[in-house]
Amino acid sequence: MCIKLPFKTTMAVLAGSLLFACSSTKPPTQKLAQTQAAIKQAEQVGAQDYAPLAIRSARQKLDKAQDLVKQKKYEKAKRFADESAVDAELAESKALSEKAQKAVDELRESIKTLKEEIANEQQAGGTQ
Amino acid sequence: MLFSKRSFTTLAISGLLFILAGCGGTPDKNPLLEKAKTHYQQAEQDSMIVTKAPVALKEAEEQLEKSRQLWKDGADKELVTHYAYMANQKVAIARQTARLNAAQDEVERAQTQRQKVLIQARKAEAKQAEQRAQKAMQQAREERQKAQELSEQLNNLKAKSTERGMVLTLGDVLFDFDKASLKPGGFRVVDRLSNFLEEYKDRNIRIEGFTDSVGGEEYNRNLSRQRAASVRDALLDRGVNSQRITIRGYGEQYPVASNGTEAGRQRNRRVEVIISDKSGEIPERGQ
Repeated sequence: MCIKLPFKTTMAVLAGSLLFACSSTKPPTQKLAQTQAAIKQAEQVGAQDYAPLAIRSARQKLDKAQDLVKQKKYEKAKRFADESAVDAELAESKALSEKAQKAVDELRESIKTLKEEIANEQQAGGTQ
Repeated sequence: MLFSKRSFTTLAISGLLFILAGCGGTPDKNPLLEKAKTHYQQAEQDSMIVTKAPVALKEAEEQLEKSRQLWKDGADKELVTHYAYMANQKVAIARQTARLNAAQDEVERAQTQRQKVLIQARKAEAKQAEQRAQKAMQQAREERQKAQELSEQLNNLKAKSTERGMVLTLGDVLFDFDKASLKPGGFRVVDRLSNFLEEYKDRNIRIEGFTDSVGGEEYNRNLSRQRAASVRDALLDRGVNSQRITIRGYGEQYPVASNGTEAGRQRNRRVEVIISDKSGEIPERGQ
């Protein structure tokens, strides 16, 4: 394939693409909304109690991302939003797994108690 | 491909610029990227994470790869660090997700186990109830058998069921004439009675003597009491505990027939033995 373009056009396209690569021209509005939702979801499953550091980090990064949007540093804002979202995701999964572990422990405990009760009852029944 | 000389120059310059813009030179190691690599490797070797959180692990790998590529291309440190951070967090997420899935599996297993324990408990309970029922039935059978035996025994004694309980009557003919002493036939009745009392230890007896209306009242009362005492003494001789026996002499009281005929008088001359129920109590004759 052979493409021949005028010099001016080539330069313009090149400059344009370079600019485009350097910074987004649009604010990451959708990303910010998604991140906000991710944080909310994490908080709803108890991230505040089970993963306080991760959820705080998520909040701080979201604030920072919003600041950057105001400064029109969209590319950087998107990165902060990404990190905030991943922090929120970690906080959520940590909260969920801690709770599940707790449920396992409680269930095991209840089985133990149940077995003991049965043993006692049978002993009592035997001496009737 | 064919390029014009000018456009070739342009490309060469812009390429150079591009490299320069990307910091240039061999980049130093990025500490967070190194950390992410280590964490990822550890996770990759953890079979629980590999099996229970493959998607999260894959995401971690993608982020790590981006970070690595950017570092290799000599990209801005901030960018390398960003993807390294993402990779690190994704590894942590993979770890938590694996824990969560493992815990959920465990919850399911534990619930199944709990169910089994409950079923076993119910089975054990049912078995116990069955055993109790069997025992109760056995007891009932034994009680019935005992009751039957008792009624047979009482039949043998020729005891009659009355309002006051079972009553055995020893007729006048079992005693010597006008005396308290028992005849051989009377001793046979006493033998049966003592066998009965030997077997049914919770039963007590009262021996009541009666006469007809011939003769003095005092005399008759004495005779009736002595006849009752004779029966008692014969039982004591056979090993019956004296506590179980009480005697009464009623004389000519409580006739069962008319004293106007010889047959009636003979029926009135008698000794009655009242056999208590299980409680051992015997109600007094109605005054």
